[in-house]
Amino acid sequence: MDKLTLCIPTGRLKDETIVLLSKMPSWPLDFNLNSRKLIFEDPLLPWNIILSHPKDSSTYVEFGAADIGIVGKDILQERGNEVYELCDLQIGICQMVVAAPENLTAADLFGKDSLRIATKYPNITRRYLQEKGINADILYLYGSIELAPVIHLTDAIIDLVSTGKTLRDNKLKIIEKLFPVSARLVANRISIKTKMESIFTFVQQLKEVIGDV
Amino acid sequence: MDLVLGMKDTHPQEVLKKRDIELKLRHLFSSWGFEEVETPTLEYYSTLQKVIGEELKDRLFQFINREGKLVCLRPDFTTSIARKYSSDLIGKNKAIRVFYDGKIFRYPSSPLRTESELTQMGLENIGDNSTSVDAEVIALAIISLQEAGIRDFAVDIGHVGFFRGILNASGFTSAFQQQLKTIVKAKDFIALKHFLEKNPPSEPKLVSLLLDFPFLRGKKEFLNDIHDRFPRNHQFTIALERIQRVWDILTDFGLEQNIWVNLGLIRDFDYYSGMIFEGFSAFSGSPLLAGGRYDELFGIFGQDRPACGFALFIERLVEVCEKSQPDITQSFKTYTIYYPPEYRKPVFILAQKLRKQLHAVIVQEQNNVSFSLKLSDGLNEYTWTNLNWDDIFKQIQEAIENG
Repeated sequence: MDKLTLCIPTGRLKDETIVLLSKMPSWPLDFNLNSRKLIFEDPLLPWNIILSHPKDSSTYVEFGAADIGIVGKDILQERGNEVYELCDLQIGICQMVVAAPENLTAADLFGKDSLRIATKYPNITRRYLQEKGINADILYLYGSIELAPVIHLTDAIIDLVSTGKTLRDNKLKIIEKLFPVSARLVANRISIKTKMESIFTFVQQLKEVIGDV
Repeated sequence: MDLVLGMKDTHPQEVLKKRDIELKLRHLFSSWGFEEVETPTLEYYSTLQKVIGEELKDRLFQFINREGKLVCLRPDFTTSIARKYSSDLIGKNKAIRVFYDGKIFRYPSSPLRTESELTQMGLENIGDNSTSVDAEVIALAIISLQEAGIRDFAVDIGHVGFFRGILNASGFTSAFQQQLKTIVKAKDFIALKHFLEKNPPSEPKLVSLLLDFPFLRGKKEFLNDIHDRFPRNHQFTIALERIQRVWDILTDFGLEQNIWVNLGLIRDFDYYSGMIFEGFSAFSGSPLLAGGRYDELFGIFGQDRPACGFALFIERLVEVCEKSQPDITQSFKTYTIYYPPEYRKPVFILAQKLRKQLHAVIVQEQNNVSFSLKLSDGLNEYTWTNLNWDDIFKQIQEAIENG
């Protein structure tokens, strides 16, 4: 079978992903990816591994730099990558939500004459506003989105929420849930044909580890 | 100066590679009896809107022309060719074999990419719905890739009847069928699983079949293996028989090592009605060619005619050639002759002679230089100076003959 190139995002998802991978039968004992290297092409490993920025792994896969990859559903929704989504890893679970200051209801918020929303996800936000028929300005920020309404920079935010603690600490609450988010296994649309057997086996083994059969 | 977003210049070296491939394909298509046709760059939106899918509608370059009508840059050639031959009453019942070569324009599918202009070369066989035409079109697709110098490739063959058969057997309302189609086209098999759990189809074996969709691929035996997993209906039987017959013809052509059956194959264009196929190489993340049978397209334009064809993505072919054979570089020899004005006449005659022998010759008249000749093939340069005319001519001929 062909050796697959697998793209793993760095950051929060990396450790959880490796826990799952290390339970797969083909994973070599005592192998760790803790060095600073970004590419692992070790004969011991059943796959070549690339470590990417969390937002880039689906793009690596789309363009064929990796055959398969792990990526958050939020990134897939935001970037619209043309890839096969094969398996839900059930890690990195959270929600994409609209959140606003605690004292506002949905009616208060959407009834405002002019609305401004802060987000790291401008495309998801634009689609959401279009579908709801809401007029709003989108303010694209890189981080600490929850800060924006607190300092009256925006009226609301669209962002990921897992436990909701950050929202509560900043006196914000969820107005609407957009969609659930978790890590996904994606595959390149050509690799899934040229390396079908390898990808099929990978998906089966991964599903057994997750308990999704 | 700024380039328009999504547009790019192509450098001479790359143009050379493109033209080389286009030339080979032009010879190939002509030798199989196809004639080249040109269609306009612009089409009315009202023409395209009848046939292209919702997703592609959002990706059209469109604007208002001087008549106040909405016009678009063509997003493909097949629609334009169908428009042309369904309104052409001359040769109404004649079989038509045409090919095309040109640019198509589509905004990228994601706002995070830019590429918007592609070169497509392809052919259409209009007026014949026989299996042998299906096979001939696929054979030409395979030979095109071989001629273009692609070494390691595969062509997957499917049929829209498999998915349509599944939709029919599902017992879903047309709204649910539409939802299912959207999910499958988006290749989101997690959403598909949730959808099927919430809305179980009336035929239970469809669930595992749909979830396995990316993996329904194999050689001819696979058609027998898969037989029991599909629901028995008219569409499925027709599709299966057609693929089997196409496979047998391609086997007779000696092309079976290049082809695969892929029952999960789905094309973006909605106008396909029968056999569909896609060609690809491990060196490109996107298909190198795509096509199929589209008997319903002409009917939309008012005249029923069966048709079958495919299009190749020329830039992707160049990319694959470069990645798979990086050591092969093409160089074009150019000879430059520097001469003083008094030699203008003999140099002109010499240059014309060389050009007729298909050498590229640049002549440069310079005052105050002694007569000199510079030969340059892009890598090496040879210069002769202060020679007399007869010697020069002899030397040039020798140098060229020795490469």
